[in-house]
Amino acid sequence: NEELWVQSVLEMPKRRDILAIVLIVLPWTLLITVWHQSTIAPLLAVHKDDGGDSQRDLAAGLDSKEYCLSDRDIVEVVRTEYVYTRPPPWSDTLPTIHVITPTYSRPVQKAELTRLANTLLHVPNLHWILVEDSQRRTPLITRLLRDTGLNYTHLNVETPRNYKLRGDMRDPRIPRGTMQRNLALRWLRETFNKNNSQPGIVYFADDDNTYSLELFEEMRSTRKVSVWPVAFVGGLRYESPKVNSAGKVYGWKTVFDPHRPFAIDMAGFAVNLRLILQRSQAYFKLRGVKGGYQESSLLRELVTLNDLEPKAANCTKV
Amino acid sequence: FVYSRPPPWSDTLPTIFVITPTYTRPVQKAELTRLANTFLHVQNLHWVVVEDSPRRTNLVSNLLEKAGLNFTHLNVETPKSLKLGLSWIPSHTPRGTLQRNLGLHWLRDSFSNTAPPEGVVYFADDDNTYSLELFEEMRYTRRVSVWPVAFVGGLRYESPKVSPAGKVVGWKTVFDPNRPFAIDMAGFAISIKLILEKPHASFKLEGVKGGYQETSLLKDLVTMDGLEPKAANCTKVLVWHTRTERPTLVNEGKRGFTDPRVEV
Repeated sequence: NEELWVQSVLEMPKRRDILAIVLIVLPWTLLITVWHQSTIAPLLAVHKDDGGDSQRDLAAGLDSKEYCLSDRDIVEVVRTEYVYTRPPPWSDTLPTIHVITPTYSRPVQKAELTRLANTLLHVPNLHWILVEDSQRRTPLITRLLRDTGLNYTHLNVETPRNYKLRGDMRDPRIPRGTMQRNLALRWLRETFNKNNSQPGIVYFADDDNTYSLELFEEMRSTRKVSVWPVAFVGGLRYESPKVNSAGKVYGWKTVFDPHRPFAIDMAGFAVNLRLILQRSQAYFKLRGVKGGYQESSLLRELVTLNDLEPKAANCTKV
Repeated sequence: FVYSRPPPWSDTLPTIFVITPTYTRPVQKAELTRLANTFLHVQNLHWVVVEDSPRRTNLVSNLLEKAGLNFTHLNVETPKSLKLGLSWIPSHTPRGTLQRNLGLHWLRDSFSNTAPPEGVVYFADDDNTYSLELFEEMRYTRRVSVWPVAFVGGLRYESPKVSPAGKVVGWKTVFDPNRPFAIDMAGFAISIKLILEKPHASFKLEGVKGGYQETSLLKDLVTMDGLEPKAANCTKVLVWHTRTERPTLVNEGKRGFTDPRVEV
């Protein structure tokens, strides 16, 4: 009897120990698995060797992050992961920058669009609206856009040709890119509801200019129309809005026709999407526009000088 | 997560050393800006910028610091006599030559031949256009790799001729296809190992006929059948020899209209 009693005494602690061990270890294994998953999954999601499909993967990554955060008992260790994706992950808080680029076929087209895309691929929440001056959307552009991985819309409209002139010239009365920019404006108005829109900024970027990454962050905070200097226009190192000490635009520092209502280059301003949607009839004037007045033809329907927001350190930086 | 630009460095990927000669002129900052924007996508890229100047300029220094790229900033001034081509031998004005050679010299100074790093050297002029794909093509060069270049030699593109066996057998060019290496500066990359193995191989400074600059270096490094064709056996164009128009600054006048303190 004693032996039996001793045996059972020996066995009981064993079973209890096992139970204790299980009860202690199990929650920790669960904890570690959950925590491990939540940090690894987003990493896997954002790691890319090629440039494709980042958006979809990242959605999954964000979900698992939310799952982890809901468990309040876990002390959260914040680890800064440096990730590179092309383009950067979409953010729910940043206004979208809609970049409207008219383009046309010529030998350097692919080169120009390639290096422009290389710049745009760094900008978060960027939507590229590429408008070809062509009868049909060309395979070259279709392929290029798809291969970049950018968020994009591909449109086309052909500027009417002036067959009266010798050779296959386009109508010289219509400044280049006008119909294409207008088509993009129309697309925006048809796509976005003015009452219920996500915040957005509209910028006209020609395919042969050079853009710093800083510029896009400057324009993101545009409330109505923002402006800044542009290099190599008007026969100068740069043209610039004149800004007074109160931070208001009161004129234009240009040599060529500084009395234009908006003596500014296409690349020198951005418009809040809301304003584009509100003033739904504001377009670039197609014909009868004097050289240098294209920008004014649109801007005068959107804003007054007084409402302009100077960027780039009060228009002191190019 | 913090968006990182450039991509995080990898211990296993070969390094691409890009040597860019540059010189002060109005569009310099614009060219270097958009070039940097391209390079910022390429993993394990080290940019060697060599100014043609007596001193390293603030413009380039600041640009390189701000960009976030891995870089080395050098300078060497091309003597006026060379610039103007005043030597007796009527030669092609060797633009960028001294600067590229300094870049090679820096590489040879920085790395030892006994333990060469995995990597390639690529000469990238600051006004050309480079696709991102190009850098992945050149990354695994064993000796010298080659590919087509757009807008050179008066053609849509010049290209090496590649045999069905995948060997370079000639040059598809109109201008002097019988050059030993009828290829543009932007059309080849050299493994670091080879650069360190042949420490005397440099671009020739004088007596170089137009179109022979590349040959003056490559002939000391490799023979035609040792070339590795890239870009789908040289059937794709991944780099364009674009040229930038000089901006008209007529309205600056004699005294200058714009504020010279504003950097352009």
